[in-house]
Amino acid sequence: MKAMNRRKLITVSAVLAAVSLAVTAVPAQAAEVGVSSSEIKLGMTLPMTGTASLGYNKIPGAAKAYFDYLNANGGINGRKVTLVVKDDRYVPTEAVAKTNELILKDKVMALLAPLGTANNKAVAASVNPARRGIPVLFVNTGFSGFADTKKYPTTYTVLPSYIMEAKIMGQYIKDNFAGKKIGLLYQDDDFGIDALAGFKTAGVNFAVKVPYASGSQSAAAAAGWITKFKAAEADVVILFGVSSATSAMLGVAAQLKYAPQWMLGSVGGDATTIKLTGVPAGVLYNAIGFSPVPATTDMKDEYVKLFSDIYAKAVPGSPFDLNVLLGMNTAFMTAQALKAAGPNPTRKSLMAAIDSKGATFANSALVPAAYSQTSHVGLTGYWVGKYSPTGDLAPVGGTYVTYTTDSGAGAVVKSTYVRPAMPAKGLPN
Amino acid sequence: MHKKQSRDIVLFILGGVVLYFLSGVVDELRVYQGATIAVYVIAISSIILLTGYSGQVSLGHGALMAVGAYAAAVAHIELKLPIILCFVIAVLASAVGGALLGAAAARLSGPYLAGTTLALAIGLPSLANQFGVLGGEQGLLFDVGFPPLSLGEEFTQYKWFFWIAGLAALISMWAIKNILGSRYGRTWRAIRGNDVAAQLCGINIARSKILAFTISAGIAGLAGALLSMTIGTVSPSAFPLALSFSLLTGAVLSGITTLAGAMIGAVVLVAIPEIADVVAHRIGSSERVTTNLPGFLVSALLIVTVLFVPNGPVEQHRARKAKHLASQK
Amino acid sequence: MDLLNTFLIGITAGTIYALMAISMVLVWRSTRVVNFAQAGMALLSTYFGYEAVTRLESFWIALPVAMIGGALVAALVEMILIRLLVKHSTSGPIAGVAPIIATLGLLGVIRSISAMIWGGQDLRIVGPVSNDGFTINATTLVFSPLKLLILVTVLVLMLILSVIFQKTNIGLALRASAYAPEIARLSGIKVDWVRTLGWALAGATGAVAGMFQTVNGNGTLSPDSIEFSLLLVSGFIAAVIGGLDSLIGAVIGGLVLGLMISFVLMYVSSGLFFIAPFVILLTILFIRPQGVFGAKAARRA
Repeated sequence: MKAMNRRKLITVSAVLAAVSLAVTAVPAQAAEVGVSSSEIKLGMTLPMTGTASLGYNKIPGAAKAYFDYLNANGGINGRKVTLVVKDDRYVPTEAVAKTNELILKDKVMALLAPLGTANNKAVAASVNPARRGIPVLFVNTGFSGFADTKKYPTTYTVLPSYIMEAKIMGQYIKDNFAGKKIGLLYQDDDFGIDALAGFKTAGVNFAVKVPYASGSQSAAAAAGWITKFKAAEADVVILFGVSSATSAMLGVAAQLKYAPQWMLGSVGGDATTIKLTGVPAGVLYNAIGFSPVPATTDMKDEYVKLFSDIYAKAVPGSPFDLNVLLGMNTAFMTAQALKAAGPNPTRKSLMAAIDSKGATFANSALVPAAYSQTSHVGLTGYWVGKYSPTGDLAPVGGTYVTYTTDSGAGAVVKSTYVRPAMPAKGLPN
Repeated sequence: MHKKQSRDIVLFILGGVVLYFLSGVVDELRVYQGATIAVYVIAISSIILLTGYSGQVSLGHGALMAVGAYAAAVAHIELKLPIILCFVIAVLASAVGGALLGAAAARLSGPYLAGTTLALAIGLPSLANQFGVLGGEQGLLFDVGFPPLSLGEEFTQYKWFFWIAGLAALISMWAIKNILGSRYGRTWRAIRGNDVAAQLCGINIARSKILAFTISAGIAGLAGALLSMTIGTVSPSAFPLALSFSLLTGAVLSGITTLAGAMIGAVVLVAIPEIADVVAHRIGSSERVTTNLPGFLVSALLIVTVLFVPNGPVEQHRARKAKHLASQK
Repeated sequence: MDLLNTFLIGITAGTIYALMAISMVLVWRSTRVVNFAQAGMALLSTYFGYEAVTRLESFWIALPVAMIGGALVAALVEMILIRLLVKHSTSGPIAGVAPIIATLGLLGVIRSISAMIWGGQDLRIVGPVSNDGFTINATTLVFSPLKLLILVTVLVLMLILSVIFQKTNIGLALRASAYAPEIARLSGIKVDWVRTLGWALAGATGAVAGMFQTVNGNGTLSPDSIEFSLLLVSGFIAAVIGGLDSLIGAVIGGLVLGLMISFVLMYVSSGLFFIAPFVILLTILFIRPQGVFGAKAARRA
């Protein structure tokens, strides 16, 4: 009796599973997935909640603010650009699940600025946008590996790689801190491996290197890091980690009155985010920082002016910071790519547009982009600045000194790049 | 006995055939979810075996899944073993881990065991950061490769995942069913019922508890390796505490002693985020509510089930029916 | 100097773990339940405290607000969840694990509700005094006025609790209500009320642990911060080291754990943040399965 019931149960369960699987029918295919006569649909995954979301959760708001502005001004050839955002809490499993939803349920045309090295790798391996021919535009990570067009043929980077950043830092150290003892805090994964590779190419010898595991950064851990830097008598300490690591370090350093010459990597260098965690602005004063886009306080810059105006109207009360500027800049580049993809954009024509015209897309960055038929590398350099007494990164003496390089053995050179003027009203032309 | 077993086999094969045709007609998202359901079925049945039958509680099965997943990935990357062997290694590695944990567990009871396994669930995945070969926070790629070309051009990756996971689920359910019906299964039930009496009957309690932990861990390891297959990577963050909790919820929902109910728990776990999505859209809630609704529903469902249907809906139904039959006589 | 720093960090963290452990012991004593939601309740109370701090701008008002909030939540949980649990899930294979599962569910519910109300982002609670280290002979210590304050406050709280337990019958009533409710009832103890009181005391104690854990860390509060995961694990482990049943044991368990974690982080590796407590727990359970201060019988659930 019991056994029979059990068997019946299995059958019932199987039927239950069948029903749950079969509830959605297969929809009809449009001309291109995610493109209708009135709309172009894009999808983004990033941490919107949880500890890792700090600062980055402003990116969708920023991108949407630009797209709304674009849509109010005619969109892309009459089509509205909509952005579907999914929270992955910085967990690869979630990133895969949410990306699947974006592709299979929301049916987006392309993925836009998905965040995180590990998450992008997981998505590439499991969802495999490349095999499906889905563009992954402007990934929000500086891991140099994503520019590998053989491994990730539909992925386009935008941020300068961590290798480029480390090489430029190395050049700056040679020029300004020769003979000083240098310390490095880095994350011991691809993020850090990239950095170490860059520093090696630049020929920087460290007095002390302190790795930390992603997720282990805390006030207690930071006290330990400081002990190591102190023991090695480092004059310059480079913080090449995420925001929470930079914040923990600077916060504890303030408590311990430990003040070497700080040098902050761009990933963890957004002043607004650092100050939000309670780090006094004064600690940042005179720290050296790096950014590919203009200072967020530089209202003389036409892009900063326009973007901050749009953002202030769209998201009142939210400070305009580096994450917002980068988010809007990415949206702006996306708009140009879509425009360049022809009257009826497809996934193929979108990627072809970036390959052929990407290097000439107008955007706020002060360094050139390196897109071409054979390269999916985005921005290629940084300007070097110092943090002001109020904790904002600004160019020394008011002029931007920019450097460019590549992710290989190429030299670091002072850039002669002149940014093209912004298209009228900041709309793609 | 033989007749019954062969009937079981026929049934499982039939189940396989149903799943096979199913994977052909539904869209890709459902196929992917189907693969996830199969993984959950395996993981939940490992908990049912441990908690429902041997009476030991584990909040650390997420960690054991991680052991299996890492073992499979390392075997695939470092030793370049074929994928089927990687799954076998996953089972063996996590079974060894389970035996060690079981040896500790046999000395502990109730809340002590729960707390120890809880600490394990939180602690163990972060250990990956200590060893370079495990790839740190970013983890390792675990790519089982494309489906064989002989299955046709149109055969998608997810269908391939679904086949592998579905087959593994059928095999492991069949194996567990047989183990539970064997001498060991009866021994565990005896211990759970009354350990003193079981001991008097000459049962070595510690040894059979450790055995239960070992087998359960091996199955969990298989589930872990399969989970990593569907995500494409193995990383510490793929095995959060929430995963261990979800599995426990799934097991309780299934009925902690109802192996066949594992399907119910697995379907509910996969359905909850979708249901939450629909609810959130219906009430037009904010981002905060939307992202936290699934977690809330899982936990709330867990409490409600423990309070009102403590032994699971199936067992409850069966008990009511038995009562009904008894009153008719 | 490192040695001293490590020691001071460990002691401060340890006193907070001790508080958490005490609240678990109080619950265990009153209802024989290990409350895995204790850290979740502490989190919720800390959010109450956060609301009070931002509105009234005084940590010293916020602390009692958090304590009262914590006590109320705990009392409600006992009256609704635990009483139902005792009534419903006493038979069948689930009986042994039902309280564990129910409190875990509660942990999940509290976490997601907190995240729905306050969002997943970090909120800040500024401590009442500076967290800048004391300077002795031109070297700055990690030890700060804030840490000193935490130490003193926790010691005072522990004194108050031990006075309550020694000078009144509450301790005895708690124990009697848990072990032999029928007999306790016969001897005139209002068993239900005593159990609720045990939970309320635990809730208030946990609230203090939550508030201090937050300001002692980097001052940020979020539903899945490291600080609260640590509190969840450490509170339990400290209580187990102490034997689950002993207040003194909980205090010593907390201090031992705080010191050990601090030394491991400083001298071994900062990546062992979560694995260290687990190793400590296993070691202790292998040496003395009933905890250092537990009676042999206390091990049975």
